[in-house]
Amino acid sequence: MAEGGWPATFSTLQPFLDWALATEAERTQKRQTSEMADIQAFYTAMLSHLEDILVYLNQFPLERMPPHAQQLMDMTLSLAEIAPAVELFGQPREDDTFDPFRFVPQHQ
Amino acid sequence: MKDRQPTGTGEHAAPDRSADRWNDKYPHLGTDPIPIEPYISREYFALERERIFRKVWLNVGRIERIPNPGDYIVVALSVCRTSVVVVRGKDGQLHAFHNMCSHRGNKIVWDQSGSCQNFTCKFHGWSYGLNGDLRFVPDEARFCDLKKDKLGLTPVAVDTWAGFIFIHLDPHPTETLRAYLAEVVPGLEGYPFPELSATRFCWRTEIKANWKIAQDAFQEGYHLPVRHKASAADAFTSGTNPHCHFLSLDLYERHRRTSSYGNLSYQPTLVAGKAYQFGSSVVVDHDIALDNLPAGVNPTRRSDWSIDTFWLFPNFSIFPSNGTYLTHHFWPITEDRTIWETHTYFPKAADAGQKFSQEYSKVLLRDILMEDGTTLEHIQDVLASGAKTHMPLQHQEICVRHAYRVVEDYVGFYAGR
Repeated sequence: MAEGGWPATFSTLQPFLDWALATEAERTQKRQTSEMADIQAFYTAMLSHLEDILVYLNQFPLERMPPHAQQLMDMTLSLAEIAPAVELFGQPREDDTFDPFRFVPQHQ
Repeated sequence: MKDRQPTGTGEHAAPDRSADRWNDKYPHLGTDPIPIEPYISREYFALERERIFRKVWLNVGRIERIPNPGDYIVVALSVCRTSVVVVRGKDGQLHAFHNMCSHRGNKIVWDQSGSCQNFTCKFHGWSYGLNGDLRFVPDEARFCDLKKDKLGLTPVAVDTWAGFIFIHLDPHPTETLRAYLAEVVPGLEGYPFPELSATRFCWRTEIKANWKIAQDAFQEGYHLPVRHKASAADAFTSGTNPHCHFLSLDLYERHRRTSSYGNLSYQPTLVAGKAYQFGSSVVVDHDIALDNLPAGVNPTRRSDWSIDTFWLFPNFSIFPSNGTYLTHHFWPITEDRTIWETHTYFPKAADAGQKFSQEYSKVLLRDILMEDGTTLEHIQDVLASGAKTHMPLQHQEICVRHAYRVVEDYVGFYAGR
């Protein structure tokens, strides 16, 4: 175990802790205000560990994850948030689309 | 890893070119261009208010939102210049009322949802039971002849079908909800709404567009290869179906349904592929157990299927897919302003993998919807210019034609002109 309960195998992800965001609104804000290079770096780091992360997280009950596991969970949700930006659009927000901040999540 | 072998019949079959000339199937709708006036006219909008929205059943959500006595939701029904509270009573039954105090008209509920023992007005403290009865009036003795038993909240009819809550502004509608939906609901009987409704995501926005402009954008696939080129075209078109022709559709008296094509050769992106290992998505998932879907969903049983749509007149639609479904509400405010609300539903996520899968699915859906959103306001922005008076529609846009016809049959704007 590394610091904060993080499994050592995921230690390379600790520089991306600013992507551990609990709500869709926060994750959208982060995606829409980040440089593409930073989004790409986060994508690359997360994708290489994704299956291991999910297998690791699947041992915890969803509603009662220890803090470090919750951070990893929220980071996988951020990966979901930015995946279309990397894989489909090549930019945080596609040209000529609706303002993402106007399409307001009513959920967390 | 899921087995991604096709399980149904008809895969890779070229679409039947005779079957998708939909105008031929519904000759009574004609083939003429449809008028632009209903999308811009304040007079037309006023008629829609009086002759449609005050006169039909309207969906306001699902029962999972108000499971316990005292749980309530509030629906801003701007089109009818009211707000409606739907609450589960102490008897377990649903009740619905205009959100308006019988005293001097204050809204009795100011938030969008919650739970309470009774409704107490924040103006003078009049208090109502969950069944709408007026229970308590401060300083009551200073009123002259106050008929408390006549001063309950004004009721609105409420009923449910398959867990969907519908209201009707007439407290005693001449047509039951069951009768209203009779022509379309057999197609959805048996769809696992309770299981799939455990997880609810919802987005809401106000757009500067007529409610029908917004709704029409989701009633045809013709725009898909262009508008959704980056996000979804590969999943919903192919060399054999480059223009996203429907697999099947049925138009009824008021409602309608369609089945959309899915490209069996579609290769998901890396993250999408990981997500699909853990759950279903609105984007094509070919591990479709067709036998588990009710007969009315994808009724032709083609494996190159992605999603169905059910359009419940006037402003609600259900898009059932494999393991997930979504709904749209388009709530008119004025002739050129609309609240657009999309829900997407999933089973309860059992673990982190399913939660990730659902997150990816909803994010992708949202980003696809963002591509739709822009056109709506650009259209409305120039529609009233007078430069054009009509819109030509092709076979694949017959749902837009049908929607216009049904609205006009209610409104009667052109009758006798």
